[in-house]
Amino acid sequence: MKNTNDNGVTNTNSSPSGRSGGAVKYWKGLEELNNSPEFVQKAENEFAEQVPLEEFLGDNNLAIGGGTNRRDFLKFLGFSVTAASLAACETPVNKAIPYVVRPEEITPGVANWYASTYYDGNDYAALLVKTREGRPIKIEGNELSKITMGGTNARIQASVLSLYDSSRLTGPQSNGSSATWILTDKEIAAKLNSITAKNGNIRILSSSIISPSTKAAIAEFTAKYPTTKVVMYDAVSYSGIAKANEQTFGKSFVPSYSFDKAEVIVSIAADFLANWLSPIEYAKQYATLRRVSKEHTKMSKHFHFESNLSLTGANADEREPVKVSEQGKVAVNLYNAVAKLVGGATLSSSSLSCDATIAKAAKELVENKGKSLVIAGSNDVYIQLVVNGINQMLDNYGKTIDIENTNLTRQGDDADFTALVADMAAGKVDALITYNTNPVYTAPASLKFADAYNKVGLRISLADRADETASLATYICPDHHYLESWNDFNPKKGHYSLAQPTISPLFTQPRYEGTRQAQESLLIWAGITADYHSFIQKTWTERVFPMQGKYMMFAEFWNNSLHDGAIEVGTGDEVIKKEEKADDKKKGNKKEEKKEEKKEIAKVDLNDAAQKLNAAKGGEFELALYEKVGIGNGNQANNPWLQELPDPISKITWDNYVTMSPADMEKKYKLMKRQDREASIVNVTVNGVTVKLPVVPQPGQAKGTIGIALGYGRDKAGKLSTNTGVVGQNVYPFVQIANGTLIYASLDAKIESTTEVTELAGTQIHHTMMGREIVRVTSLEDYKKDPTAGNHPEMMYTNSGKVNPATLDLWNEHEKLGHRWGLTIDLNSCIGCGSCVVSCTAENNVAVVGKEMVMKTREMHWLRIDRYYSTNWPSEVAQAKEKADEKGVGSIDMYLDMENPSVENPKVVFQPIMCQHCNHAPCETVCPVLATNHSSEGLNAMAYNRCVGTRYCANNCPFKVRRFNWFNYNESPDFKINPTQDDLGRMVLNPDVVVRSRGVMEKCSMCVQRVQAGKLEAKKAERKLADGDIKLACAQSCPTNAILFGDLNDENSAITKLRKEDERNYFILEELGIKPTVSYLTKVRNCELETAEPAETKSEKKEG
Amino acid sequence: MDTTNNKQRKQISAVFSFLFLSIIFSIQPLSAQDGAKLFKQNCAVCHTITSQKLVGPGLAGVAARVPNDAWLMKWIKNNQEVLKSGDAYAKKILAESNGMQMTVFADLKDEELKALVTYIKNPPKEVAPMPAAGAGAAAPVEKTVNPLAILLGVIAFLVILVAILRGLSHSLKNIKREKEGLPEQAKLTAWAELKVWMGNHKRTMVLIILYIVGGFLAASWDGMMGIGVYQGYNPSQPIAFSHKIHAGDNAINCQYCHSGVERSKTAGIPAVNVCMNCHKGISKGPITGTTEIAKIYDAAGWDPEKGAYTKPQKPIKWVKVHNLQDFVFFSHQQHVKVGKQDCATCHGDLTKMTTATQMQPLTMKWCVDCHRKTEVPGMKDNPYYESLHKKLSEKFKNLPKDEQVITVAKMGGIECGKCHY
Repeated sequence: MKNTNDNGVTNTNSSPSGRSGGAVKYWKGLEELNNSPEFVQKAENEFAEQVPLEEFLGDNNLAIGGGTNRRDFLKFLGFSVTAASLAACETPVNKAIPYVVRPEEITPGVANWYASTYYDGNDYAALLVKTREGRPIKIEGNELSKITMGGTNARIQASVLSLYDSSRLTGPQSNGSSATWILTDKEIAAKLNSITAKNGNIRILSSSIISPSTKAAIAEFTAKYPTTKVVMYDAVSYSGIAKANEQTFGKSFVPSYSFDKAEVIVSIAADFLANWLSPIEYAKQYATLRRVSKEHTKMSKHFHFESNLSLTGANADEREPVKVSEQGKVAVNLYNAVAKLVGGATLSSSSLSCDATIAKAAKELVENKGKSLVIAGSNDVYIQLVVNGINQMLDNYGKTIDIENTNLTRQGDDADFTALVADMAAGKVDALITYNTNPVYTAPASLKFADAYNKVGLRISLADRADETASLATYICPDHHYLESWNDFNPKKGHYSLAQPTISPLFTQPRYEGTRQAQESLLIWAGITADYHSFIQKTWTERVFPMQGKYMMFAEFWNNSLHDGAIEVGTGDEVIKKEEKADDKKKGNKKEEKKEEKKEIAKVDLNDAAQKLNAAKGGEFELALYEKVGIGNGNQANNPWLQELPDPISKITWDNYVTMSPADMEKKYKLMKRQDREASIVNVTVNGVTVKLPVVPQPGQAKGTIGIALGYGRDKAGKLSTNTGVVGQNVYPFVQIANGTLIYASLDAKIESTTEVTELAGTQIHHTMMGREIVRVTSLEDYKKDPTAGNHPEMMYTNSGKVNPATLDLWNEHEKLGHRWGLTIDLNSCIGCGSCVVSCTAENNVAVVGKEMVMKTREMHWLRIDRYYSTNWPSEVAQAKEKADEKGVGSIDMYLDMENPSVENPKVVFQPIMCQHCNHAPCETVCPVLATNHSSEGLNAMAYNRCVGTRYCANNCPFKVRRFNWFNYNESPDFKINPTQDDLGRMVLNPDVVVRSRGVMEKCSMCVQRVQAGKLEAKKAERKLADGDIKLACAQSCPTNAILFGDLNDENSAITKLRKEDERNYFILEELGIKPTVSYLTKVRNCELETAEPAETKSEKKEG
Repeated sequence: MDTTNNKQRKQISAVFSFLFLSIIFSIQPLSAQDGAKLFKQNCAVCHTITSQKLVGPGLAGVAARVPNDAWLMKWIKNNQEVLKSGDAYAKKILAESNGMQMTVFADLKDEELKALVTYIKNPPKEVAPMPAAGAGAAAPVEKTVNPLAILLGVIAFLVILVAILRGLSHSLKNIKREKEGLPEQAKLTAWAELKVWMGNHKRTMVLIILYIVGGFLAASWDGMMGIGVYQGYNPSQPIAFSHKIHAGDNAINCQYCHSGVERSKTAGIPAVNVCMNCHKGISKGPITGTTEIAKIYDAAGWDPEKGAYTKPQKPIKWVKVHNLQDFVFFSHQQHVKVGKQDCATCHGDLTKMTTATQMQPLTMKWCVDCHRKTEVPGMKDNPYYESLHKKLSEKFKNLPKDEQVITVAKMGGIECGKCHY
């Protein structure tokens, strides 16, 4: 084999396709381009390895004479074929086991829906849970909720899989080994009693509790053990806002914000569309003012100042990258700018590079007084104080900020928490019960929580698994999953919702010792044996029922509330009055004073705050920690759907990493050519803690700052880490404590480079549109002048002049008989949050493939969200070409040059891409077995059992939406991460959709199962199909209603009207003559666009 | 003349007597046979014809117990009235059955009541053997000879015939040669002679070989195409449930048990509690007696002696007869509720089947063939299809009459994406 080597090199060089030929060259990869000896060797020897036939046949007798002859081979072939066909002939005996007593509400094959609620201390949403044969399989939003209004996010969509997590504990544990409930309860009660007897301290540490019944249960517990105190602590804390409000208004609370009333929004690093406070609610509200039409051209204006490029920043009209240390200064300068305009006193300030934008923002804010909103994401009390000051000047309180109906989902108090840890370390706490929190993992390094925790005598965890905290606990009393539990929630004053079990607990006796509702555990220890269901009813009879006037009977009220899931009961004054009365009794007559205080404190002196903020100085690199839309605070880190969800900005899966400005990187590190794959590893040191992470160039990242995502590096989250290794690194230890609050940033992060290089699994290889108009963008000003602005079709030259290719057709038009389904996506509403991606995964049984496969571009998502950075494309293209010609570099380098976003702060666009269901689909014409073909309803159908896996269709698809099953992800032992490989995980599968096997192509079916089911309902009811009867999984889960589905043959459907009337409607790559069914609406930005050029000039340029 | 007249007269009288007889038969009161049917329909849930007590008392010897037949008929029709009238015997029965009252059967006509009473008074000697005897009677008729045996017999006969004829021909030839004074020809072996014959008939041989090879190929093709097709699959079930008795003899509607058929994609195998609706009362079947029904009790946890669910429940593991591949979506509600198809179209006439058999191949070809020729009943009247129907009628109006039919296929019913997703 060696001797072919040298010859091979010369041969390839002299071949006609060689570079010397001067002809156009296409190559398969960098290896071919560089003609490396390994490549040449491989090219010479097409079949890389000899097929080890002897090994395959395995019988030495047959191999006599050094090989197996053809006859033997044929014998074996004949035998195996016969054996296989005989095996296939046997009738399989399938058993059908009906119920003994069928529950009245269950009809096999028909889904049941239950209203429920998700709240994990972080995200809140009212839900509908779809169950099939008693198993929850899909989460959808509950449109009756006045808060989330039918929206969900990726984390909530994925939470149904967490139910079937086999890493959950199946029974209580005592000192790390299995125990029985009876014994555990006895021991715990005895210990608690002895602690109470000696007047020891019992503490309950929990994330925010918004459940009235849980509070009542804790009250019962406290009555029995009077030394109990509750400390609330949120992993990602918002106590800075509460603290600032305490100073401004004399009362600690987190207000409710109304983004649907805010025509000007200034956000200082608040990622309110993805993570901040109540992102689903805000995204819904935000989208209402972002939607434009010819008649309604008013649009909110969104300014954003931040260090990392967040999802919200990517959606902003005007975004300014600012350092972490400058965030406070931005607030102060904005305060001053507004004060100047409204004639108020200014604060001391320092100048910033973004002062022009601040002035612009201030002007807009003042023009929209009372219709604007200024928010800050920092947990720094000083920043929040200044922001409060700005909002007061703008008269936003009572208009866009509701301080009466406060947001109750964040009640954590950082000061209480730090005090508790100090007490624990001092040995003053005798028993600690942790509920819905994991402080060993989430607490800052400086608190040394684990050490303090071990000093507590009795450590009880109510976690559902032996996580970082629970594994150190004396007892773990595992809670049910929320889909197995009863619960109630009060996310906002006056808003109540219920959670009801949608499945009987998975782990129950006799097979397991069983899990138990956490509240029931508390009640049992308090000596009350009532089940939590009746306990909630009791609480509601006393607390919620009197607040409403609609129903006379409690049973009626309860049933209706349970049916609706989420209810509104006025302002909730009665309960507050009751509480206040109780307070008055305790505190005497302080109430009057408070009211007077309010007005006075409203003029709180901000000079001190401004000084502190202006004094902030950063080191070489400042660090801003952030949450990802998938992993969030890390409580669902064991959920493979979330790990495989690409980050909306970096498009990287299965990792956290350091994001750094490309300019900084070039200065300091070798910039990897293939940024989406290779990354050098750096050591980041903050607070004396060092973490090793890959570094990724992130356009839009403020220079001199880095960003790292929280929620990764969980080694005790469950079996996922045993299959893949721990995903990412934990950076919660980097959290600082300043001025009594937790600060998710550091002004001085030390970075040390290493020689190590790692690979990251990104799903998007190209980061810019390279001069094409895949996403069409225009500015609001242009749109007002011309509704077709930014939406100019690529013209085609024919012998009869320039023609719109949409009017040309090689084939006959399709008949307009029955339905013709269409999908339109409003790019103005789409915020790129990824909720639809997870929803699609859940609905269509999409496989999880893991990091290795994603690196090979083999992810299986049927729906992806493309993210593009803006470039000055015509000049960029020209430059790249010139440069390539001058230096004689190849096209790959040329394209790589074009790939670099042109500006430091590029504009970002998101575009959900699924199968475009082309009416003249290129995939259909190349399928040799007609496995993919067109339905009369306009859908591009895929018959999996017909597919032989040639992959011609994927190669011919201009949108690259087809996914190939390279392996049997559902059975192969290499893909243990796939939920379908687990007996429990398999229960999440949608029984109406086939689970695809190896060698089969798959893609978006436009939820054909939902379409068929919707049609069937209409047929059965003998009525016409109404517009909106069918909702696709992606459209249903979209928090901003960006996706519209309907019948294009129905004259009156919303989608037909929209396509007819809205000039923003366009089809991507329409110039190919493929007639896609999916259309998009041009994105309109409320700002001036620097780079947009009409398509006309562009094509003329090309001509020239 | 006379003879013809006579003939005519005979014919007329025959016709008249036939008419007369048929009238006689048609107005004949309902017989005990109908009584049996009525009993099954109305009474069997609570009473047995023997002395065994179910919900109500066993009815053996009831005629002797009650005052008279008229009273019995009155009691069956409306026991409430009899009770109200203060009848002593009625009160006694009520006391005996712990105050549990009997259902009122006001709809029963007098003849029907008579038939019922006749049946109750003269119960059949042995209830069980009725259909069993039928089966036994059928057995001799079905005792047919295996066609393969006949074929083999014929072949053996022919071979023997050939051998005899060969010997005969050889002897005759030798006799002829003897007459002509030629020496006797040695007898060739059969194989050698066949070789000679084959040498002389090469064309025929080629044809024969082609025929054999062709037959082999055709047989293999058939065999291959039959892989995975289980038409005629008739597995034995854990309980010898008879569709014939339930759906046939007792005319229970299919949907009573398979209640999901109009609401779900699956028709559903009934839960044991559905069986118990009737079998709480009927503990003895006509063929298998109590053994099979006892299995239902065992599954349901029912204790027939105590009359209560006291034992642990054990789900019945039925063997699935109709196995459709996982990659095809089939909906019963689409076919039965919307398409108004009869169950028998796919499942055959189950009223005549003891155990369910897969009557159709359930291949895609079979589905598609039906979709190609079936016009959707009820499509015209269903507002859902209104515009589609109009457009399709318009489209096909110029075609010949038989092609104007709007079949499922013409509506898109054979597109891949309708069943495979």
